[in-house]
Amino acid sequence: MLTKNDLARYERQILYPDLGEKGQKRLKQSQVVVAGLGGLGCSASLYLTCAGVGHVTLIDCDRVELSNLNRQVLHYEEDIGEKKPFSAAQKLAKLNSSIEVIPVFKKITAQNASKIIKGANLVIDGMDNFKTRFIVNKACVAEGIPFIHGGVHGLFGEVTTILPGRTPCLACIFPEVPQRKVSLPVFGVTPALIAILQVTEAIKLLAGFGSLLTEKMLYFNGDTMDFTFRNLVKNQNCRVCGTKKV
Amino acid sequence: MSIKVRLHPILQNLAGGQELVEVIGHTTGECLEDLEIRFPVIKQLIRDKRGQLRRYCEILVNSKSTYPKELTTPVKDGDQIDIMIFVAGG
Ligand SMILES: [Zn+2]
Repeated sequence: MLTKNDLARYERQILYPDLGEKGQKRLKQSQVVVAGLGGLGCSASLYLTCAGVGHVTLIDCDRVELSNLNRQVLHYEEDIGEKKPFSAAQKLAKLNSSIEVIPVFKKITAQNASKIIKGANLVIDGMDNFKTRFIVNKACVAEGIPFIHGGVHGLFGEVTTILPGRTPCLACIFPEVPQRKVSLPVFGVTPALIAILQVTEAIKLLAGFGSLLTEKMLYFNGDTMDFTFRNLVKNQNCRVCGTKKV
Repeated sequence: MSIKVRLHPILQNLAGGQELVEVIGHTTGECLEDLEIRFPVIKQLIRDKRGQLRRYCEILVNSKSTYPKELTTPVKDGDQIDIMIFVAGG
């Protein structure tokens, strides 16, 4: 049920015919896991919280550093040294006390990933490395939970939505997990933009309207301000989601 | 004979803003070598020191995966090769 306060708080988005009170109620009943609370995860969880997603789980295993503050907008100077999920949850609770924000300070591993995401309506990719993304991609396929991938590099970003079993997953395109873990260049604006596209996908998926970024990758090139697409094709031999796994 | 390589947006900046580059070759590997001769800086990004394709790169032909034959898949007139790059920052 939407309360009187909910109706007032979300008035302007409830006016959107495809959302309405029915869609808002769905958002309120939803649980979203934000995996990673860096540039992508901070902006994504901020807008999930604004939009009234009822249960938001924030997971990260890092502590706030000064070099994070050019892009990780939920962490402030006073939070340096603090666990990222707790730093973020504190701000989000002040922004919207009517939703449940669950901070989890934990490293996502192949062993615990399924347990962490179980019961969620979707997972938002806020991660900063290849390895964990592939672990979460696999867990989402195994659990049948939609996964909204985002990635950034400098002024460049990408987004796609994966509906397990139905649309191509990350391993369909990249069968082997790249090993590299280095500091990549990144501005604050790029992950913010990509995260907001991820949340746009999340709202539509949870409320059940609009069309999704499935079977295609959206690329943003901030250098030229071009938005382009690539079609993605499900790989029948995909080791994660294929019907003829090799 | 017309085979085109569609560059990932990150690579387009290294090829003077071009998205599509016409190349010559009978396999994906030959076509990529043709591309790399013209844009050596692309080679640095997509290959490791031993000349192997880096794992964050994948090669598609007409949107289909070529794994594990990324460099040996035959191509014919009219095919389009895509260089995909996995973007890992967050
Ligand atoms: Zn797959």
